[in-house]
Amino acid sequence: MGRRVDIPDLAFAGFLLALGGLAFHLAGELQIGRAGEMGPGYVPRGLALVVVMMGLGMALRALFAGGRAFPAVAFRPLVLIGTAVALFALLLPRIGLALTSAAVVLCSGFAAADVRLRENLVLAVGLSAFAVALFIIGLRLPLRTWPW
Amino acid sequence: MDLIGNLATGFSVALTPANLGFCFLGALIGTLVGVLPGIAPITTIAMLLPFTFTLPPASSLIMLAGIFYGAQYGGSTTAILVNVPGESSAIVTCLDGHQMARKGRAGPALAIAAIASFAAGTIATLIIATASAPMAWLALKFTAPEYFSLMVLGLTGAVVLAHGAPGKAVAMVVVGLMLGLVGIDVNTGAPRMTFGIAELGDGIGFVPIAIGMFGIAELAVTLGRPQDRTLLDVKLGSLWPSREEFRASVPAMLRGTALGSILGVLPGGGAALSSFAAYAFEKKSSKTPERFGHGAIEGVAAPEAANNAGAQTSFIPLLTLGIPGNAIMALMVGAMMIQGVQPGPQVMTSQPELFWGVIASMWTGNLMLIVLNLPLIGLWVSLLRVPYRLMFPAIVLFCCIGTYSVGNSAFDVGVMLLFALLGVFFIKVGAEPAPFILGFILGPLMEENFRRAMMLSRGDPMVFLERPISAGLLILSAVLFAVLVSPALRSGREKVFQE
Amino acid sequence: MGHHTRRLVVAALAAGALGFALAGPADAQNFTKPVTIIVPYAPGGTSDILARLIGPKLSEGIGQPVIVENKPSASGNIGADFVAKAAGDGHTLLITDVGTLATQPSLVKKLSFDVQKDLVPVTMVMFSPYLFAVHPSVPASSWAELLAYAKANPGKLNIANSGVGSIQHLTAIVVQKKRGIDWTHVPYRGGAAAIRAVVANESNVIMNGALPTTPFVKQGQLKGLAVSGEKRLAQLPDLPTFKEIDMPIVETGSWQGFLASKGTPPPMVARLNAELRKVLAIQEISAKIVELGGDVRTNTPDEFTAWMTKAIAEWGEVAKAENISLD
Repeated sequence: MGRRVDIPDLAFAGFLLALGGLAFHLAGELQIGRAGEMGPGYVPRGLALVVVMMGLGMALRALFAGGRAFPAVAFRPLVLIGTAVALFALLLPRIGLALTSAAVVLCSGFAAADVRLRENLVLAVGLSAFAVALFIIGLRLPLRTWPW
Repeated sequence: MDLIGNLATGFSVALTPANLGFCFLGALIGTLVGVLPGIAPITTIAMLLPFTFTLPPASSLIMLAGIFYGAQYGGSTTAILVNVPGESSAIVTCLDGHQMARKGRAGPALAIAAIASFAAGTIATLIIATASAPMAWLALKFTAPEYFSLMVLGLTGAVVLAHGAPGKAVAMVVVGLMLGLVGIDVNTGAPRMTFGIAELGDGIGFVPIAIGMFGIAELAVTLGRPQDRTLLDVKLGSLWPSREEFRASVPAMLRGTALGSILGVLPGGGAALSSFAAYAFEKKSSKTPERFGHGAIEGVAAPEAANNAGAQTSFIPLLTLGIPGNAIMALMVGAMMIQGVQPGPQVMTSQPELFWGVIASMWTGNLMLIVLNLPLIGLWVSLLRVPYRLMFPAIVLFCCIGTYSVGNSAFDVGVMLLFALLGVFFIKVGAEPAPFILGFILGPLMEENFRRAMMLSRGDPMVFLERPISAGLLILSAVLFAVLVSPALRSGREKVFQE
Repeated sequence: MGHHTRRLVVAALAAGALGFALAGPADAQNFTKPVTIIVPYAPGGTSDILARLIGPKLSEGIGQPVIVENKPSASGNIGADFVAKAAGDGHTLLITDVGTLATQPSLVKKLSFDVQKDLVPVTMVMFSPYLFAVHPSVPASSWAELLAYAKANPGKLNIANSGVGSIQHLTAIVVQKKRGIDWTHVPYRGGAAAIRAVVANESNVIMNGALPTTPFVKQGQLKGLAVSGEKRLAQLPDLPTFKEIDMPIVETGSWQGFLASKGTPPPMVARLNAELRKVLAIQEISAKIVELGGDVRTNTPDEFTAWMTKAIAEWGEVAKAENISLD
């Protein structure tokens, strides 16, 4: 059985069904109106329906058209880079650009399989200084450098 | 002919040492902010506005315009080298430009981008100088029904952008359209699908989505492949395009310039279409469309030319009608007003030195950009020799700072993360992000004009067919759709799944 | 997350303010660190240009750097909320317009801050009237003729506005109700898009900022009918005022002002008011503001508070009567 199902296509179909369903639900609270004076819900609901229909069609096809497994996902870079971005969003408003940059570089650096600790530390300090010089001193972005 | 006299007036202004200096400064700053993902030229122009108060009006406009087209150019460098698009036009450059870079052809890709930009800029400057008036007429012929039909044509073309299964590409376009509607509805003011989050009131930001889906997602997936020790699969080839590459590029550049010049004139969304349209046209008319998405040089030349021609001709409605076509042009209106120059049709007659000076400076600016950038290609390409483990943390950091700086908002960085994860999912299931992004950009414009047209026609859908330009665009869309669908139906779902 | 962040920022800033308070009451009107002007819109709007125009001169006056920071989104409410929740030490200022200050409070019920309680008015900066115009194809060259045309041709007029709930929109609604004119309200994304639409004859009536609209009237791309307020425009002296043609709302227009965070001590507000008025009195600055389409209009914090209270009440009444809500 498993060999018959196209897992990536099925996953994509599932995504379409979930997103379309969610959008249909959210747009459900909005007025639909009529053609001459459309309410805010008119177009979103129509599009949500299209997305759901496409999801259904794709799911049907995926169930019967050739088997493919879901490609391997490398979780190490995904998790570490995701964490680095999240760190940036959480830290920047609190501790300023200098320390945030260093944290982001340190964290994301470990996403590479061939990371070297000392090199990564030097890179963190260097890029942090470069970012402060470029964005705060050079481009005058309204960012704090330090936590204080 | 007046043209010679007008251009002579223009160059007498543009070629003064001071104005050449401001032009260079603008182009340089523009290139710098363009290279940094997310740092928008609009932020930079706003920041520099106070410094231009003391300058003569022509000098200040020359410098600000330089930032604008400099940034257009700089953005493609980042797109080609590291696959991070900072603005909508650069997304198309990512498709084949970055593939060329991965095959060791970063030098030719950058060189063709620079040459295409320069050629397009030169031709577009001539167009502005000779055909401003008729082009402005075109801008006024486009009302809500025409815009809607133009967007329909654009979206039909979006499917061409994908090199995988057309079914998935269509689905991605519709998903993009839907997410584009998030935010406050223009027609009623009601917030839609925002989960009550105030930050989503103006919709999901373009920069967080584009940088997340292209830049960060691509990076996370690339790092998962053990063989990728550097950005390059093979060693660097020549920096200069080969004779064949040149031969393929020149007609593509010209077609891109033509498309970009026309679309750039249309205020409110025309310019967004130009690079997509040029790419779609090249791919569809090519004898070997399968090369697109794997490093086809025409896929770099045409959209780069279209993008720059469009950027240039978007000055036409501003200079001849006083109507700003996009947010940057609106900022230019502010800059002009502060200088005591009221933008509008009277500028051409009452201040010919200013009008023609700015136009002539566009050409000198483009010349400076190419002089500035061709020698830089070697430097950019050598960046690719830096081991990837040292490169990508810098890319992650710059993407974060750029996204944050758009609205000084940590929320946007969170949105970028979300779309990065979504982007990885899309890569894994073989759904391409480019059609999604085009749907996302055009969705709100399309809905807005659709509803406005229906409102103005008091609910009569025939309005889209009664107006000749609108009807023509719809017929074209139908033909294009038929052309796209028929081979797909015939050959079935044969396209190989690719990462 | 946003809420949590804000709380921490407030805590940090409050701690800073505490240390600052310990330094002694004499410092309550001195500037001890860079001042941030928050613009709750994207770069390029009138509020943004005003901030960038005034910022450098203000910096000279107070002896501290002045940073302009854009916090766009949600019709200005995100930026205003940021200032509302900042420390009340006079180092975070908001510059914004009639939209955030007078109409949003009535239109948006779920605002995360109270414009009247969480912000301290410092001074008004500028006031600009509206120009009322039609496309040249509309056979009317005065308000009376337009009224007659509308009566004879129902459903022919489409009035463009710069957004649902904008002052232009609300004014057009009041005129519609009080004078019985039949027109369809067509919202656009901002004034520039509205002008483009009327010049292209997509919609055919417009009420929009006088300065950006004037050149189109002068060039004949639009036909001017009247100007809001009681004073004729110097550039278009033939156009009657709203008062002369007996419009139901005379004093309608756009205005901008500076506000500080809740809890800013009165001496600090007074110092800010004095510094800003000094800047706005500079000939170079006021001339630029006239070029932006308005008149410099400064007042005391009390006068500005009273002005805002009146505006919120008036537009709130319109919004309530018409049942307009943006929630």
